Amino acid sequence: MTTKKFTISQCKDSHSISFNAMASPCEVIVQSTDAKLVGALAQVICTEVWRIEGKYNRYDPKSVCSMINTNAGQTVAIDEETYLLLDFAEQCYQLSDGLFDISSGCLRKVWSFDASDNIPNQADVKKQLKSVGWRKINLNRQSITLQKNMEIDFGGIGKEYAVDRTIRLAKQTTQKPVLVNLGGDIAVTGSRHNNTPWQVAIERPDVDIGDEKSADMIVSLYSGALATSGDSRRYLLNGGQRYGHVLNAKTGWPITHAPRSVTVVAPQCIQAGILATMALLQGHQAEQFLSAQDVKFWARR
Amino acid sequence: MNLTKKSNIVFFIFCLLSVSGCVHLGVEPWQRDLLAKKEMALNASPIDAALDDHIYFSKEASSGGKSFGGGGCGCN
Amino acid sequence: MKSSTPNKNIKAALTVASAALLGTSNTTQAQTAEEDSWQFDSAFLFYSEADRVSAGEAIINAQKMFDDEEILNLKLTVDTLTGSSANGAVAQPNVQTFTRPSGNGQYITNEADTPLDDTFKDTRVQLNTQWTKPLASNYTLSVGGHLSKEYDYLSLGVNSNLAIDFDRKNSTFSTGFSYFYDTFAPEGGIPKPLVSMLIGDSDTPSWDVNFAQTRLTNDEIKTTTDILFGFTQVIHRRMIMQLNYSYSMVEGYLSDPFKIVSVVNSSGLTQDNIYESRPDSRVKQSLYAQSMYHFESNVLDISYRYMWDDWDIISHTIDSRLRIPLGDIWGKDSFLQPHFRFYQQSAAEFYRPFIQEDNVNGIEYLSADYRIGEMMAYTVGLKFGAVINGKNELSFRLEYYRQTPTDGGYESIGVLSDLELYPTIEAIIGQVTYSF
Repeated sequence: MTTKKFTISQCKDSHSISFNAMASPCEVIVQSTDAKLVGALAQVICTEVWRIEGKYNRYDPKSVCSMINTNAGQTVAIDEETYLLLDFAEQCYQLSDGLFDISSGCLRKVWSFDASDNIPNQADVKKQLKSVGWRKINLNRQSITLQKNMEIDFGGIGKEYAVDRTIRLAKQTTQKPVLVNLGGDIAVTGSRHNNTPWQVAIERPDVDIGDEKSADMIVSLYSGALATSGDSRRYLLNGGQRYGHVLNAKTGWPITHAPRSVTVVAPQCIQAGILATMALLQGHQAEQFLSAQDVKFWARR
Repeated sequence: MNLTKKSNIVFFIFCLLSVSGCVHLGVEPWQRDLLAKKEMALNASPIDAALDDHIYFSKEASSGGKSFGGGGCGCN
Repeated sequence: MKSSTPNKNIKAALTVASAALLGTSNTTQAQTAEEDSWQFDSAFLFYSEADRVSAGEAIINAQKMFDDEEILNLKLTVDTLTGSSANGAVAQPNVQTFTRPSGNGQYITNEADTPLDDTFKDTRVQLNTQWTKPLASNYTLSVGGHLSKEYDYLSLGVNSNLAIDFDRKNSTFSTGFSYFYDTFAPEGGIPKPLVSMLIGDSDTPSWDVNFAQTRLTNDEIKTTTDILFGFTQVIHRRMIMQLNYSYSMVEGYLSDPFKIVSVVNSSGLTQDNIYESRPDSRVKQSLYAQSMYHFESNVLDISYRYMWDDWDIISHTIDSRLRIPLGDIWGKDSFLQPHFRFYQQSAAEFYRPFIQEDNVNGIEYLSADYRIGEMMAYTVGLKFGAVINGKNELSFRLEYYRQTPTDGGYESIGVLSDLELYPTIEAIIGQVTYSF
């Protein structure tokens, strides 16, 4: 578990709140010199992020997520927030025609993306695939029922959801401009003072040897959110074929020819995150998919 | 004569269905970028279509086909 | 008919989904505001035939889309018609006199001219409502009502349509039903079929009694039942096709009370003019195929309709439009759209351009209405449209329509050989459409 504490530092007219959550370094920037306000905001935001983490972290045996998974085969009562998240996941499942599936996590039992050529055999994949498929899950406003051996995880939406939640709390707490960055998933409450944008640097994830080095990309953000999906460090190589870590929930195999990472700008972080993930799931048609959605995006191949 | 006509229709529909059954037709939801455009709708200009239908209904012996032929006016 | 228009904009769907999740709506104002408000389309059309009918038609269509994807559509149409229309009689080498359909007065047709009844003047108001509702994820139901009223005509109609999507909404099967109940009460009543048109001085005391003897009744009824089966298939990313079969049964009074047939002698000279007579039922069937193809930037819309009926009319219609985007040169998203339409029909079995006096006896059905005779027609047109003020679309359409009736194998006799019996009809159609 990450240690639950935050540090505050001041830089010119802004304060920065740093903490760890969801296995990522997190940062909140407030354009204010009011230390008291920043302290209060830090408390509010960190509490909310850690709350969401505690509730939906599948590695935490006390989480709602674990409770649902360990009781697979039985009906588990859920609260409104969990229902809303699951309902959102269901809509993403439908919108992506089954490619995005929060029950596909157990496929990782056969896929370890360690840059090796460790490709599982088809039989193992097929066996795991039996425990995958949102269709097999029964969800209503009060409860969820997973079939035996099934598992769900909130990995694809939890962090983005936390960003949107904290932005909402920040807006309720202060009028000052606030930026929330949870491990690269970013949202702002609005533009900085004097209507200037936030300058967000997107780290180039490409660490492949021989690849051309380029500077971080700078994005000007006036409002809304951006999220990045993809990770070039997690892949397998086999016969010259690169298998990215994004799995097709329908076949159980990684999506090939996908960009290494996709960054999308959208009004809300959860929207940006899902669009980026859905784009990766389109493989070589990722850019085409995003163009059709009429969103601002950057894809790296 | 009517019989041949009917069997023609059945044959035509059968062909169409079998085409859709065997060949890989259709697109994935995310490939609908062009199909989703307003101008790609089968009835892209319903107002134009309604006005045209009215003109041709009153000037020719045929009507409908695309949608209901209908009555609706004393123009024919 | 509503074809499948699923919401494939994932971004918009996600906006709604994330608003539900986060309990916010303020951040998604732009998108949701559009869905909740009314969308209006208005159009004005002008139709003018050289020396014949002129018509003006105005439409205002209001559509509201609700959160649950239900759509309410209201449409108001007002049109007005004035001018002259062929009464069915043939041209003669001499001046001809005809009685107005109302029985009040006469009109004169000069030698060699096609007889035209110049009393056409009517205003029509039409109201349509349509309610479309998704029943389940792949089922869409649409029901509608129709009311149309003009001076001498009332039409009431209902319709329903069920569309079923399958294979990722790539295929849609739809089935529709519509029923119209029309009441026709022309001024002067309904004439008796095949009875001679009374010609004479309408001011004489005996006129009214004599005219009334040519009348059958004051009003008549016509019902139309349509059944439609449609199949829509997405072929690939650039192409979608539709195939429809429709069956239409029209029953009741199907004649045109204003139309007559010339009874001529062996020299082709008119001896009498008798009111036309059509069967009291007609079964029309049609096959319709349409395809939309998206080229690199142009969109081609091409359709073909084959129609046949139990009056022996067979028709072919080819309609094609090519939408050429012009970029933002003349307004945002401007486009040009050339249009070409070809139409050809064979004559109804009881169509005769005229009838010889020896052949009148024993005849049951007869009409000289060129609209159910052999004919060819084409339309060429051009439409220009652009988005103005950011989101309102303005478009203009100009078309030329030309009808060429032909003899259908009925040879002219005597003096008729030297006269123009099948005049070409030319019309200009102009239309302005504004959506806001």
